[in-house]
Amino acid sequence: MEALRIEGLKKKFGETEVIRELSFSVPEHSVFGFIGKNGAGKTTTMKMILGLLKPDAGKIQVFGESVSYGETKTNRFTGYLPDVPEFYSYMTASEYLRLCGEIAGLASGEIRRRSAELLELVGLTDNKKRVGGYSRGMKQRLGIAQALLGNPRLLICDEPTSALDPVGRKEILDILFKLKGRTTVIFSTHILTDVERICDRVGVLSEGRIVLSGEMEALKKQYAQDKVMMEFPKEKQEEVLAVLKAQHLEPLHTEVVEPSLEKLFLEVI
Amino acid sequence: MRGMTAFLKKEFCEMIRTYKILILGSVFFLLGVIGPLTAKYMPEIMEQFLPQGMTLALEAPKALDSWMQFFKNVPQMGLIIVVIVFSGMMASEWSKGTLVLVLTKGLARRSVIMAKFLTATLLWSGAYWLCFGISYGYTRFFWDERTPRLGAAAAFVWLFGVMLIAVTLLGGVLFRGSYTVLLFTGFLVVMMFIINILPSAQKYNPIMLVSSSMELLEGIKRIEDFMAPTLITGGLLIASLIGSAAIFDKKQL
Repeated sequence: MEALRIEGLKKKFGETEVIRELSFSVPEHSVFGFIGKNGAGKTTTMKMILGLLKPDAGKIQVFGESVSYGETKTNRFTGYLPDVPEFYSYMTASEYLRLCGEIAGLASGEIRRRSAELLELVGLTDNKKRVGGYSRGMKQRLGIAQALLGNPRLLICDEPTSALDPVGRKEILDILFKLKGRTTVIFSTHILTDVERICDRVGVLSEGRIVLSGEMEALKKQYAQDKVMMEFPKEKQEEVLAVLKAQHLEPLHTEVVEPSLEKLFLEVI
Repeated sequence: MRGMTAFLKKEFCEMIRTYKILILGSVFFLLGVIGPLTAKYMPEIMEQFLPQGMTLALEAPKALDSWMQFFKNVPQMGLIIVVIVFSGMMASEWSKGTLVLVLTKGLARRSVIMAKFLTATLLWSGAYWLCFGISYGYTRFFWDERTPRLGAAAAFVWLFGVMLIAVTLLGGVLFRGSYTVLLFTGFLVVMMFIINILPSAQKYNPIMLVSSSMELLEGIKRIEDFMAPTLITGGLLIASLIGSAAIFDKKQL
């Protein structure tokens, strides 16, 4: 079954055409990486899926039901995490989840159970602080908790990792990875390593259109280069080079691999 | 309905934790105390300021003097503070984008408008009638005389306040900044004052509800004279609410 289907979507803001003829679909249970530059129209597309913006043309379906602008019924399937989630700063995390649960029509016991579960999942258990004092990463994690509260079948995350430090990014990606197989996830970003880490399908948005899409594995095969990277223990390196030289095999490209800053950062903190 | 109740709870939590209840409560408490006290002690205060040896023949203060203070202070100071406090009702949600999450959770847009209006109206009513009660208590204590048509005069001011809240809410839906909202409500009130220059329009002008309270107490105007402006105020109130809901339904977030 298709979790999301978009056909011929168009949206203009004033004279600027942000989305022109956008069409793609996301099968159920996949993790879809929605890739594009800043300003490519990722957020606009997501807001249209949620019925928050009115498309100029085109059709959007969530689990086979059409999305209508305004109060759309399809939102009962979806959980949404905006790029910068904003909460009522005078509430605590569990108070906020209670508000969300009551709005979504969950029973009181259910809200208590789910809140405890989710706060545990995102690592905000026993946090009595009001949201006003939260760091960006904590807000992002509470954002995930609220998005998952109603057990959504489709989770829409708008650049969930872009504003975070490497640790925060890893935490969010780990949480999303845990959902794989249970919930369909649409995940927009411009950080390609994040996509490689958790997505099984991608769509690349450029100038309001999908310019590349498909399964991650298939795309990798299709665009594969016949390149091989080998790693040898340090003491064997001289030997390897000697063999290559003896066989008159000249490498096209050699480089000394330096530890990545990310690796270092994660090691020292 | 469940969503509406949940959002109402959130609104009250906001009013308490952002000190809005405290601000309104203390301002109106002060306004309630200050009216009768200034009326009672005005002659003595005046004497303090007069040069020695000079006397000023002042009439002994009456209960009406106390109510004159009330009907001057509440519309001038009180209502302005009410509008300032509630001008951020929608603006804070717009500027922070907090509505996106609750609306995608399935909260009806109308519930947002209704919950905000109800909360503001309840708070205004509480603060206003507290102020009135204090003023009434002190006035009876100092003078122990009945003031006819007092209840009606007080109710007219209250209704005008409810209408201002609805207009401020409409402004909040139309414009995203709280200063623009203040300007919008202010503009409407100024328009009412300008319209009041025309003698033929005076008897329909909602502003009469707050500007002619003393004439009603002194018997210059009758309650019937307030019927037309009351109806127009009610109409304005309902139109603002319907307008807010309709426009908010169409807003892109």
